[in-house]
Amino acid sequence: MAGSVNTVATTVDQRPAALHCLSNFSFLRGGSHPHELVQRAVDYGYQALAITDECSVAGVVRAYVAAREQPLRLIIGSEFHLENIGTLIVLVRNRQGYAQLCQLITTARNRSKKGSYQVFLEDFIETLTQCSLLWRPLFKANLEEADSDLIKATAEQLKQAFGDYFWLAYSRHYRADDAQRYCYYQRLSIEQTIPVAAVCEVCYHEPQRQSLHDVLVAIRRRQPLETQVAQLKPNQDYCLRTLEQLQQCYPADWLAQSIAIAKQCCFCLSELRYEYPAELVPEGKTASEHLRELTYGGAQQRFPQGLREDVKAKLEKELQLIAQLRYEYFFLTIHDLVQFAQQHGILYQGRGSAANSVVCYCLQITAVNPDQIDVLFERFISVERDEPPDIDVDFEHERREEVIQYIYQKYGRHRAALAATVIRYRLRSALRDVGKALGFHEQELRHYLRQIDRRDQHSSWQQQLLEKVSGLGKTHRGRCLLALTESILGFPRHLSQHVGGFVIASTQLSDLVPVENASMPERTVIQWDKDDLETLHLIKVDVLALGMLTAIRKMLQLIQQHHQRELGLADIPQEDAKVYQMLQRADSIGVFQIESRAQMNMLPRLRPQTFYDLVVQIAIVRPGPIQGDMVHPYLRRRAGLEPITFPSEAVKQVLERTLGVPIFQEQVIKLAMVAAGFSGGEADQLRRAMANWKSSGELRQFESKLIKGMRERGYSEEFAQRIFQQICGFGEYGFPESHSASFANLAYASAWLKHYYPAAFYCALLNSLPMGFYSANQLIQDARRHHITVLPADIQQSAWDHLLEAGARGVQLRLGLRLIKGLSQSRIEALLEQRPAQGFQSLQQLRDVGLSGPDLHKLATADVLGSLAGHRYQSQWQSLALQAEQLPLFMDQLTEPASNLLPPAEFQDIAVDYRTTGVSLRRHPLALLREQQQLKGYKLSSELAQCRHKQLVRVAGLVTCRQRPGTASGVTFVTLEDESGLINIVIWQKTARDFRQAYLTAQLLKVKGIVEIHGEVIHVIAAHLEDGTEQLAQLGVSANRSRDFH
Amino acid sequence: MNAWLYLHFPHLLLDYQLALQPPEQGVVPRAVTQGHAARRSVVQANSAALQQGVEIGMAEVLASTLVPELKLHDYNAKRESTMLTQLAQVLYQDMAQIVLHPPQGLLFEVQSLLRLHQGFAGVVARMQTRLQQWPLRYVLSSGYSPLSAKLLAASGYAVLSAEATDVKAAINKLPIDYSGLPPAQIDKLRDVGLLTLGAVLQLPRAELGARFGRAMTTYVAELAGELSPPQNFYHPPDRFDQQVELNTEAHSWTQLLFPLKRLLQQVESFLEIHQWSTRALLIRAHHRSGPVTQVPIQFAHAVWQQRDLLSLSQLHLERQKLKQPVLALSVRVQRPEPRQAQEQAMFAAPQAQTDSLNALVSRLQARLGESKVQSLHLHDDWRPEYQGGLKPWQAKPTSTMLSLQRPYWLLPEAQPIERQQWQLQWGPERIVSGWWNADAVARDYYIALDKWQRQGWIYQNDKGWFLHGWFS
Repeated sequence: MAGSVNTVATTVDQRPAALHCLSNFSFLRGGSHPHELVQRAVDYGYQALAITDECSVAGVVRAYVAAREQPLRLIIGSEFHLENIGTLIVLVRNRQGYAQLCQLITTARNRSKKGSYQVFLEDFIETLTQCSLLWRPLFKANLEEADSDLIKATAEQLKQAFGDYFWLAYSRHYRADDAQRYCYYQRLSIEQTIPVAAVCEVCYHEPQRQSLHDVLVAIRRRQPLETQVAQLKPNQDYCLRTLEQLQQCYPADWLAQSIAIAKQCCFCLSELRYEYPAELVPEGKTASEHLRELTYGGAQQRFPQGLREDVKAKLEKELQLIAQLRYEYFFLTIHDLVQFAQQHGILYQGRGSAANSVVCYCLQITAVNPDQIDVLFERFISVERDEPPDIDVDFEHERREEVIQYIYQKYGRHRAALAATVIRYRLRSALRDVGKALGFHEQELRHYLRQIDRRDQHSSWQQQLLEKVSGLGKTHRGRCLLALTESILGFPRHLSQHVGGFVIASTQLSDLVPVENASMPERTVIQWDKDDLETLHLIKVDVLALGMLTAIRKMLQLIQQHHQRELGLADIPQEDAKVYQMLQRADSIGVFQIESRAQMNMLPRLRPQTFYDLVVQIAIVRPGPIQGDMVHPYLRRRAGLEPITFPSEAVKQVLERTLGVPIFQEQVIKLAMVAAGFSGGEADQLRRAMANWKSSGELRQFESKLIKGMRERGYSEEFAQRIFQQICGFGEYGFPESHSASFANLAYASAWLKHYYPAAFYCALLNSLPMGFYSANQLIQDARRHHITVLPADIQQSAWDHLLEAGARGVQLRLGLRLIKGLSQSRIEALLEQRPAQGFQSLQQLRDVGLSGPDLHKLATADVLGSLAGHRYQSQWQSLALQAEQLPLFMDQLTEPASNLLPPAEFQDIAVDYRTTGVSLRRHPLALLREQQQLKGYKLSSELAQCRHKQLVRVAGLVTCRQRPGTASGVTFVTLEDESGLINIVIWQKTARDFRQAYLTAQLLKVKGIVEIHGEVIHVIAAHLEDGTEQLAQLGVSANRSRDFH
Repeated sequence: MNAWLYLHFPHLLLDYQLALQPPEQGVVPRAVTQGHAARRSVVQANSAALQQGVEIGMAEVLASTLVPELKLHDYNAKRESTMLTQLAQVLYQDMAQIVLHPPQGLLFEVQSLLRLHQGFAGVVARMQTRLQQWPLRYVLSSGYSPLSAKLLAASGYAVLSAEATDVKAAINKLPIDYSGLPPAQIDKLRDVGLLTLGAVLQLPRAELGARFGRAMTTYVAELAGELSPPQNFYHPPDRFDQQVELNTEAHSWTQLLFPLKRLLQQVESFLEIHQWSTRALLIRAHHRSGPVTQVPIQFAHAVWQQRDLLSLSQLHLERQKLKQPVLALSVRVQRPEPRQAQEQAMFAAPQAQTDSLNALVSRLQARLGESKVQSLHLHDDWRPEYQGGLKPWQAKPTSTMLSLQRPYWLLPEAQPIERQQWQLQWGPERIVSGWWNADAVARDYYIALDKWQRQGWIYQNDKGWFLHGWFS
C-alpha cells in the first residue's frame, strides 16, 4: 500500500487544500463551526479550504468572515448523496458556477419537504458547466455487491459532462479496508481514465472533536451512543491534517491533483452584488432622481408651511448619503410597501436606525415627527460603520398577510423569500440531546435541568450541577455530559424562517442564494440569516406584525363612527399634558409598551412629561439598564438628587440626552469607542456579539478589553464593570433608541386615545385580542373602573365583535359573542345576519336558521339566551333537548313540558361566566366573600390610599399576575384584584420561601404586610402569605389562572 | 343487601413500587407524573410529598419548585395494570370472585362468601387482614351494585355497610365530578345545575335520555342497580415470572433482599392458589448494560412457603458477587408441581425437556457457577477486546458482526513485544475509540511477521508495541 510515499518538494506551491469539509451547518453531521475549520486551516498553512455542507451553503458566510483577512482561499461547494452512486462534491469555479450551484440546491430542496432534498444525476449533468465535480463512488468491501455496471455508466456520463473538471476523490482514514479502497480507485481511474485526487473528508477541525461528532451521530439516530458504535468513525482521522500527515497518507501526485483543483476555483463571496428590483423606478429616471422627487413631494404634505432651513439641510444630507451608499432602491422598496398599505387602509409604522430620518418621515414610512426628537437624526446610516440601513416596518397583525401576498404577487415567488433564522442548541436542548445520547434517562435529565438557575450570575450551570447533583462529577459519564453539552452549545440545529425579513432580488433570487421550503406551506426561505445578509451587504425588508396597530385602527374607526371625528395616526395632537398626567398616575393598562407591572411601577417614579421621556421610559425597564444598575442613577439625576456630570467631553456627547447615564444600546457601543478606545471595526464586532450573545457566548472576549480600555482612560473599575454588565443585558434583549422612539410614538398615541376616547379604546383592544399583557377580563374591569358602562353579551343585541352603543350616560360597551370560547366567527356571523329586527323568538328558531346543536349549547352556557329561555340552567336544559343527535325513542318527549330547574346561585353564575367567557360582569368573588363575613379586617384596595405610610394591613385578592423581573434581587411582583381595584404586592425572596406554597399556588392570596406609599405609588410589602383558594372553591368559583411571568 | 366490594388504589404505581423497596425509600418525597412537556402533572404522590404541599393534579414544574428534593417517576399504565393483576393474585387466596378494573381497581362479589366468613363484617375483616401485608393506600367501599361500589371507592366517599340504604344515601350526595361519566357529559350536567348524582337520579329518565342519549339512561339504570352488566371474573395465571424495577441502583445482594422478599411473597401466593410447590427458581438481576446476571436456585425438595424459598435463595446468593449495579430484579418459578404429586415425582423419570439446551446450561451454571459457562459473543465495537470473545452465556446473543479483518485468536491480554523482531506487512489500521466508558484506546494496528514467519496482529500506542493476536 502506498502508505508513506515521500516525494521531494518541487518548486510548486505545495501548501495543501482541503476540498471536502463539513461544518456544523450539515446539521448533526459536522462537528465544528465554519470559523473553527477556517482557523485550523490557517494555522496549518493551507492555501484553500472548501466548505461543502450537504446540499447547503448555509455556513459559508461565517467561513467567509473568518477567512476574509487570512491568507486562505475559501472555496464554496456542496456535497450530495445519490443512492447507489455515492457522494458528489461540487466546487464552484466562478460567479456563474456559484449561481449554478445555488440553482441546483434550490431545485433539490424544492422537490422535498423542509430539511431534506432529492437530487438526480441528470441535475448535475445539465446545469453545472462552471463547477468542478469530485466523485466518491459508492464503495463496498465486497466488490461483487456493488453495481459495477451502474458505476461504469455513471463514470462515463460524468466524464463526458465535466471533462477535465472531473476527479475521483480518494480519502484515506487508516481503516481496515484502506488497501481495497485504494486498489478500487486506482482500477477505476485506469479503466475510465479519470484522475484521482487526494480529497480528505473532514468532519471536524481537530481530533478532540471526535467525541462530540460521535454524540451527533447518536443524536441523529435518536439512539444511545453505545448501541450505535458500528455507525461511529473508528478513529480521529476525520480532522484537518498537517501537510506532513497528508504527505504520509497520500501519493504525491494525488495530492498535487487536489492543489490543482483548488487553483481553478477563484470565486469569492465578495463578488456577489445585490441588484435591486428595477421596476420601482419609472423609465427615463435614475433611482436617485426618483427618490428625491418622492421625498420632496412628501415633504409638502408633511410640512405644509414649508421646510425649515435646518430640516432641509438635514434632508439634503440624508439624500446625499443615500446616493453615496446607493441605498435608493431600499428606500423605494419600502416606500412601495407602505404605499400599498396606505391604499388599503392598513396601519403601519417604520422603525429602526434609518427609519428615524427626514427622508422616511417624508416618504410616510414613519410618523415620528422630527421636531420632537430632533436629536435622533444624528444617528442615521453611517459611512464608516458600513452596515446596511435598518428599517423594520410593523403592520397591523391581522392584516400583515395582505402585505406579504402583495410582495409575492408584485415580485413573484422566484424573486422574493424570507431570510432564515438559525435555530441553535441552547442549554436545555443541548443537555437533553447529549444526555440521551450518553444513555441518561429522560427523568434524570429533567431533574438536572431543574437544578439549574440560569439567572445565577455567580456560578456557571456546570458548577451548579456539580454542587446540587452529588456524584455527577464523579462518574465518567457525568463528566462527559458536562463537557460535551458545553461544546455543543451554539451548534446550529436547523433553519427556520425569520419573523418577517424578506429578500427581494432583481431577477432570480436563486442566483444569489439557495431557496428552500419552510415548514409553513407556501413559504420559502433562503439559506442565510440576517447576519449573513448583513455581511454580504444584501438588503432585507422587514415586514413585521404588531397587534397594537390593529387595535389603533379599530379605535380610529370607532371614533369616526361614534364621535364623527376623523382621525389618522399622524393627526393625534402631540404633547398633551393631560395624557402625561394620566401616565404619571400609572393609569396605563392597555397602553402600548408601558402597561406591564414593571412599567407601571416606573411611571410614577420617572414621571414622563415629554415624548423623549417616553422614549427613555420604554427602554429603561429592560435587562440592559437593569443589569447595568443604571436605573437608579438615572432616576436620582432626573429628580435632581444627584448632579449631572460627565467624565469627559467625548462622553458628554454620547450621554447628554440621558443625563449622563447610558440607557440605550447605541450609547454603550459608542461608549466602548470613546471611553474604552474600541476601533469602529471592534465596536461593530461588539454589536454583532451582543446580538448572538446567548448562543455563542462571544461577549466574554470583549470584557477584559473593555475594562482595561476604560481603566486606562481614567474611568473607575466599578463603572466599567457596570457598563459590561449592561452590555451583557443588552445581549439578552437588545433595545436601541431608534426602536424605542418608534414604540414611544405608539405608546403616546394609545395613551391619548385611552384618555380622550376610553370606550373606543377598550372596545378596540378587546376586539384585537389576543395581544398585549392583559386578558379580556382585566381590560373590562379596568374599563369599569373608568366609569364605562359594560353591557353583557346577548343574542338579541350583540355582534361577533364588541360594539359601542349610545346610552343614557354616553357611549356604552356591549360585549360581543367573540368572548365565548369555542365558537367560530363565520358560523356566528351567519346566524346574526338572519336575526329579525324584533329579535329571535325561540331557541327552536335559532336551530331552524342553521345554528348547530353544540353551538347553541355554548350560547346557552354563556348565558346569552336569557331573553329567549329564562335563566342559565333553564336555557341550557332547553338547548340540550335541541341537539342534533336525537334518538327517535325520545322525540315524543320533547312536546311535554320540561322539568323546572332551580335558578343558579350567584356564585355559580360567576363560576360559569369565568369558565365560558373568562369574563364576568356580576359581582366580584371577593365581594361575595366579604358579604359572608369571610374577610373581616381585610382592607379594600380603594382604602389603601387612606392608610398611613408603613401601616400594617391585611389585603386579599385574586392573583392576576406574578412577575419576577430579570434581576438578581429575587423580588416578585404580584398583582391582586379585589372588587374595588388592583393591589400591588411586593414579595421578597425570604417571604416567598417561607410561604412557598401560598406564593406559588394560591389563586386567592391573603397578605399581611406593610403599606408603602410614595406619592401615587402604593405597594404592600408582604410579610405573611396565606392561601385562600379553598374559600373560593367553597364558593364554587375557580378563578382564571394567573399569568406567570418569569 | 350490598353484595359487592370495591377496592381502589389511588397511588398504586408508586405505593406498589415502594412496597418492594426498603422502607427508607418511602421517606423521600416522591411523585408520579404524566403528560407532555409543560402539561406534565402529578398523578400520584407518597405521603412525604403530600405533607409538603404537593397535590394531585399539580403541574410537575410547580411541584418540583415547591419541593425541590421531590423525586419524580413516569406514570406507566401498563405497569400499574400488571401490579393490579399481581394484587388480584394475592387476594385470590381469600376471594374467589374478582373482577379487574385496571389500572387501579378490584371488584369483589361477596355474597357467596358471607356464610364462610360469618357475615359481611367477617368478609371485610378478612380482606383488611390480607391487605395489611402490603403497605398500600386503598379505599374500600361496599355497594348494592358494582357501579355504586366503584364510584364510592374511587371518589373516596366510601361506605362500609351491609345495608343498601346507606350506600344509596351516599350515592345521592356524591358530587357529579365523581360520576365516572365522560368529562363532556359532566360539564353539561353541571351547566344545568345538576351537581350531585342524587339530582340526576331524581329527573325523569325520558327527559335525561332526550338530552344526554341512551348511554345516560343505561348509566342511570346501572347505578340504580336495575341493570347489571355481565362481569368478567379473574382467573389466576399458571406461570410466574415477575420483575421489579428498583428506585436506586443496588450494588450488593443484601440490598436486593427486600425486593426479593416481596417477590417471594408473591411466589407463595401464586403457589398457594394453585396448590403447587416448586423445586427451582431463576433469579435474574438486570443491569444498565451488558448481559443479565442469572442465578438458578435449586431446592432439594419441593417448597412453597415464602420463608423456605427465602432462606434457601439467600444461601445461594451469599456465594455470588455482583459485578455491576442492578436496576431490576426478577424471579421465575421453574417446574412447579402439584403438592400431592410430590411423592410420585420423586421416582418418576425426568420430564421430557422441551428446551434441552437452556436446561443444560442452567444446570451447568448451577453446578459450576454462572461465570464458568460461556459462549462466543459478538458485539459492535471498534475496540477488539470489546468486539468478540467469550462472555457468560446469554440465551439470545445480539450482534451484527463488523466485517473486518481480525485474527481468530485474540490474546486475553496484549503482550509487549520488541518491534525489531517483527516485519510489518500491512497497516496501519488506526483505532481511536471508546471514550464514552473510560476505556478509550488509541492504537495503530499492523499485520506483521515474527522471526518464525508467524503472522501476528500487533499494535503501537503511546506505551510501545504490543502483540494482540495471531492470524496463524
